[in-house]
Amino acid sequence: MLPNLSVEDLIEQIKSNKVSPEEVTNHFVKKTALIDPKIKSCISTAFVKGKDGILNGIPFMVKDNMEVIGTKTTCASKILENYVSPYTATAVQKLLDAGGTVIAKTNMDEFAMGASTEYSSFFTTKNPWDLQRVPGGSSGGSASAVASGMVPFALGSDTGGSIRQPASFCGIVGYKPTYGLVSRYGLVAFASSLDQIGPLTKNVRDAGLIGNILIGKDPKDSTTVEKQIDLLKNIENSIEGFKMAIPKEFTKGLSDAVKNVLFDAIDNFKKMGVKVDEVSIPSLKYAVAVYYIIAPAEASSNLSRYDGIRYGLSIDGESVDDIYTKTKDEGFGREVKRRIMLGTFTLSATYYDAYFDKAQKVRSKIVDELKQIFNSYDAIIGPTTPGVAFKIGQLSSPLEYYLQDIYTIPANLAGSPAVSLPMGSINGLPIGLQIMSKRFEDEKVLRIGRNYEMIRGKFPLPEVVA
Amino acid sequence: MKTVIGLEIHAQLLTETKAFCTCEIDVNAKPNTNICPVCTGQPGALPVLNKKAVEFAIMAGLALNCEIHEISSFDRKNYFYPDLPKGYQITQYFHPIATEGYLNLDNGKHVRIRRIHIEEDAGKMVHSSENITESKESLIDFNRCGVPLIEIVTEPDMEKSEEAKEFMEKLRDILRTLGVCSGNMEEGALRCDANVSVVDDNGRSSSRVEVKNINSFRYVQYAIEYEAERISKALKDGKDVKHETRGWNFVTRTTVSLRSKEEENDYRYFPEPDLPILKVSKSQIENIKQNLPELPDQKSERYVKTYGLAKDNANIIAKDKIISAYFEKLVSSKMDPKDSSNWIVNDLLALFNADSVDFNPDKVPIESLKVLMEYTNSGKISRLSAKEILGEIYKNNNNPQDIIKEKNLIQVSDENSLVPVIKKVIENNPSVVEQYKKGKTSVVGFFVGNVMKETKGKADPKVVGDLAKKILDGEIK
Repeated sequence: MLPNLSVEDLIEQIKSNKVSPEEVTNHFVKKTALIDPKIKSCISTAFVKGKDGILNGIPFMVKDNMEVIGTKTTCASKILENYVSPYTATAVQKLLDAGGTVIAKTNMDEFAMGASTEYSSFFTTKNPWDLQRVPGGSSGGSASAVASGMVPFALGSDTGGSIRQPASFCGIVGYKPTYGLVSRYGLVAFASSLDQIGPLTKNVRDAGLIGNILIGKDPKDSTTVEKQIDLLKNIENSIEGFKMAIPKEFTKGLSDAVKNVLFDAIDNFKKMGVKVDEVSIPSLKYAVAVYYIIAPAEASSNLSRYDGIRYGLSIDGESVDDIYTKTKDEGFGREVKRRIMLGTFTLSATYYDAYFDKAQKVRSKIVDELKQIFNSYDAIIGPTTPGVAFKIGQLSSPLEYYLQDIYTIPANLAGSPAVSLPMGSINGLPIGLQIMSKRFEDEKVLRIGRNYEMIRGKFPLPEVVA
Repeated sequence: MKTVIGLEIHAQLLTETKAFCTCEIDVNAKPNTNICPVCTGQPGALPVLNKKAVEFAIMAGLALNCEIHEISSFDRKNYFYPDLPKGYQITQYFHPIATEGYLNLDNGKHVRIRRIHIEEDAGKMVHSSENITESKESLIDFNRCGVPLIEIVTEPDMEKSEEAKEFMEKLRDILRTLGVCSGNMEEGALRCDANVSVVDDNGRSSSRVEVKNINSFRYVQYAIEYEAERISKALKDGKDVKHETRGWNFVTRTTVSLRSKEEENDYRYFPEPDLPILKVSKSQIENIKQNLPELPDQKSERYVKTYGLAKDNANIIAKDKIISAYFEKLVSSKMDPKDSSNWIVNDLLALFNADSVDFNPDKVPIESLKVLMEYTNSGKISRLSAKEILGEIYKNNNNPQDIIKEKNLIQVSDENSLVPVIKKVIENNPSVVEQYKKGKTSVVGFFVGNVMKETKGKADPKVVGDLAKKILDGEIK
């Protein structure tokens, strides 16, 4: 029965001596060995045990774009297929210091560019609810591992929705903290101004528990800030009298099936004495466009370092330029190349003003409009994704694929906290509810989530048989 | 024809650690020993700004009369090269920390400074052949990678290659006085790229040519001279002057084309998302300003005003903080300032210059020079002997008293020992005596010179002269 227990439950079981820390770790290691061949969440297994602490015996998995010393950190890319981390990411170190044990590095879309793990250079991860479907992405390995009970929690990273979207598809909780709360040191950069590490968990309280460990200023990441935040302190408090906003821009074009689940959610909020208003945030319609200029631009620069000179894949050539060309051509997948080219183009001297600079301005506009909303509302709610998990191979055009992130991107552009938790299901497949608030209101986001979770009732996890 | 010159200067800052990580800076360290995940561009590593580098940049900005900006920011300059591990250099492109300064040359020319910004150095490459394209093998040392630099960009306000050289020397003296840069061009701690164009008599300007790889102060002058001549000749011949980057070759003393404008990189500058905006407060800037050391020009002016030094001597002493400290110690130990400046400039520095080495006070301790000055002034030793002793001290670091004793250099000025020597010299030169008797009194100098020779420079020339006259006039028998 251990696999269905939350982190908090496991801590309690260990504390009350019902089970030993070693038994807990072993159980999940065995479970992973049994289930993973079917789900394919993991790129590599590891066993990195931390110090003594609250997470004693609790195993977790780490998305393969975070450095854990001595483990391979591939970013699901051929270019880093044999790269061994020389150091450990701050976020991972904090969990190790709290007693946790890393047991695997999880699959993802290459360099976190994607929403299905189909862009992993190695293999596609399956959705534990339906093995024909994608788990979402890019943190699809982490989400599927938690949903299928391989680990009680896992770390993901979220640049445009990469924690929340797979959480939505896998029926679990995915929390993207406020930008600057969790150190990015050791997170392989995709788009530095948008990337944020967060936990994928079975419930909202666990998200708060792990979040509390992750949060804190890191002298190694200059974009982190010092904030006194306790995500669990008021998490059980009522949210009666709260005001929620649902942007029209989020509901336009939703399928009836998703709308119905959303209406149920709104009813639930109303039952709790929460006011829900429809609002308009006009600039949101540009969010995806802005994102697909800023993220590839930053990525084109961040991925320059994979040049075959110091580490990673290196293909010999006639000249330095030849080494660069061959290494990058062989090492990067199609989607990564597409985004590098996009970013190189929008940053070029000729197009900088027309694209990158303009995108930055629109980003500010979106931030301003969201600020306005948060002056009157506690949070913005809506579906995390436009639909449930799609079938492997179903989405073929990049544009269709990019629209997966339509509801999640605004939180990254604004640096806001956001959480996705199961809202309901459609034909037996889960879909997430996203709650987003203003920067540093992480406590509020999780409190609303916890209240919703209570009124919704327990959400089942899929049965995966080996 | 008029030459138009602007300079772009890179100065390595003398911080203990690198610009964006905590690696030590040590030019003597074994290759690739002062490196870490940040400065070797490992995945996931992030930069953290060195506050000392900011302070040094502000000091340089203030010394060069710049406006210091309370808000500036960092950007990425993207290009591919093996010595650039991240594939981009962190620099300040859009909002530099300092702008609009100036530096005055001795001829009164006012050279405006457009901007000063903070950036990081790249690694160092060693090729098995001339360059990377021709080499089978190239090695990279990342110890230098991430060393903080300031780039100083002037307006094109200079017209002569000598002015550019003087600008660089003055800049070096300022940076050294501030203690922010070693100023050594040969070692690459201070680097200069020159932008050169020529305007013809009808006011038409040639394309601008950038000259790189200039690695000494002399070559600043030579390279610009060469380039200005090359462009002028092309203009005269009606040939096209390409807008290009050329490299100075110090062996052939010519410049060669490196790349044309079309081959220039598009650096795709954009704001560095890993670093927050750099804020410095008014009070921080004011505090740094208050603590700036006295700069060479100010010091020189003070030496002329308060000590009455000759302008040239004052300049030479003031431009180097070690020399000026030496001078001021001499003065504060009750030595005459003017006399001290003469000794330092004419005698002491001449020794170092002859060996083309920097002045080093340990080679001639202040106490030793002081003894020499005192002995000379009191007539115990001759000026000539003093010079010889100074050379000895410089070479072997001996005690001046020991040298004087060992070489028996105490000046001889007593009549009893000098008169016989003078008499002998007079007797041996009857024809010169004849000239004297005919009224040509200047020949006394001849006798003095010979006596000095006889006494190996120990005789007091003034005393010898007086005695010689008295002997010739028959006052002494």
